[in-house]
Amino acid sequence: MAIINVTSGNQAILTLGNTAPNAATGIITNGIQIPFVQDITVNATPGTVRYSTLDSTSSSAFTTVNENGISLNILVDELIMFGNSAASTNSVALNGLLPTSIAKTEVFFSVAVTGTGNAGDINLHGKGFIGGLAPSASIDGAVWLTPMEIIVNGELSKGIET
Amino acid sequence: MTIRSNLLTQITTNLANSSIRVSNELPFNTSGNPLYLQNMKFVYVDEEQLDVEQLYRTLDQSNVNTTVTTVNAYLSVDAKNQLSDINTVIANILSARNVVSSTLDSASNYETDIEDDVITYTFEYSYTTI
Repeated sequence: MAIINVTSGNQAILTLGNTAPNAATGIITNGIQIPFVQDITVNATPGTVRYSTLDSTSSSAFTTVNENGISLNILVDELIMFGNSAASTNSVALNGLLPTSIAKTEVFFSVAVTGTGNAGDINLHGKGFIGGLAPSASIDGAVWLTPMEIIVNGELSKGIET
Repeated sequence: MTIRSNLLTQITTNLANSSIRVSNELPFNTSGNPLYLQNMKFVYVDEEQLDVEQLYRTLDQSNVNTTVTTVNAYLSVDAKNQLSDINTVIANILSARNVVSSTLDSASNYETDIEDDVITYTFEYSYTTI
C-alpha cells in the first residue's frame, strides 16, 4: 500500500484533445495539458433508486446508470482559455476552453493519477463536454480564476501506460 | 527601471521646491556613520529588499508568487531647529510611493529616531507585485 503523492508536478494532470490519442497521457504530442490546476476531483457516481418494503425497517436500493464527471479549479491561462493559433493539430488547443465549451464540442480527456511517461502509470480517461467555466477576478485574488468541469459522456476508463 | 530608481526620481521631483535634496548614493557607512547622518537634509534611498511568497499553489508546480519589495529611505535634520516645511517634506516623500504602478498592494510609512540633536526619519515603502 502506498499513498499517491501529488507534489512532483506530473500527477493529477488533466490532458484534453479532440481525439482519444491526442488526449492520452504519457507520450503527449498534441494533447493540451491544463496548467495552473489548483484542485481536481473525479466523480464516479452510480445512480441509485431507493425503495421501501413492508418487511424491512431499512430502505433498499438498486443502481441505475453512472454519472461521471471531472471538476477542477484553475488559474486562467490566456492560450489555454482562448486558444493557441499554433496548435493546429488539436482543435481544443486551437480554439481554447471557452470557445470549445460555448460550441458544445465533445472533447476527450485523461487524468494522470500516478504520473505520466512511465510504464505502469495509471490514468483515467473518457470523453465529455466542457462546462462550468465561470472566470472571475478580484484585486484580492490578483489573477483570473475559474472553476471548470467535464460532463463525462459515457464511462470513465482506467488506463495503464505501457 | 527599478523601484528604487523610480522612487529616487519621484522624490527628487516632489522635493524640488523644498529645503531638502536627494542623493543618488546608497546610505553606506563612512567613518563609522551612515551618510544620512553626515549629510543632513539629504534623502538617501536604500537598496531594495525582496521577499517572495507563494500566492497560489498548483498541481503542476507552476506556482504563482507574490514579491514584496521593501525600500527604506532616510533623512536626518536638526532636531533643535526643525525645518519650517518639514510636514510638507514628509508628505511629499510619502506620496512618492504612487510612482510605482501595477502593484497588488502598496504602502508607505515612517518613524523617527532622535539622537543628540539630530532627528532621523526612516521611511519605508513596500510594494506587493505578482
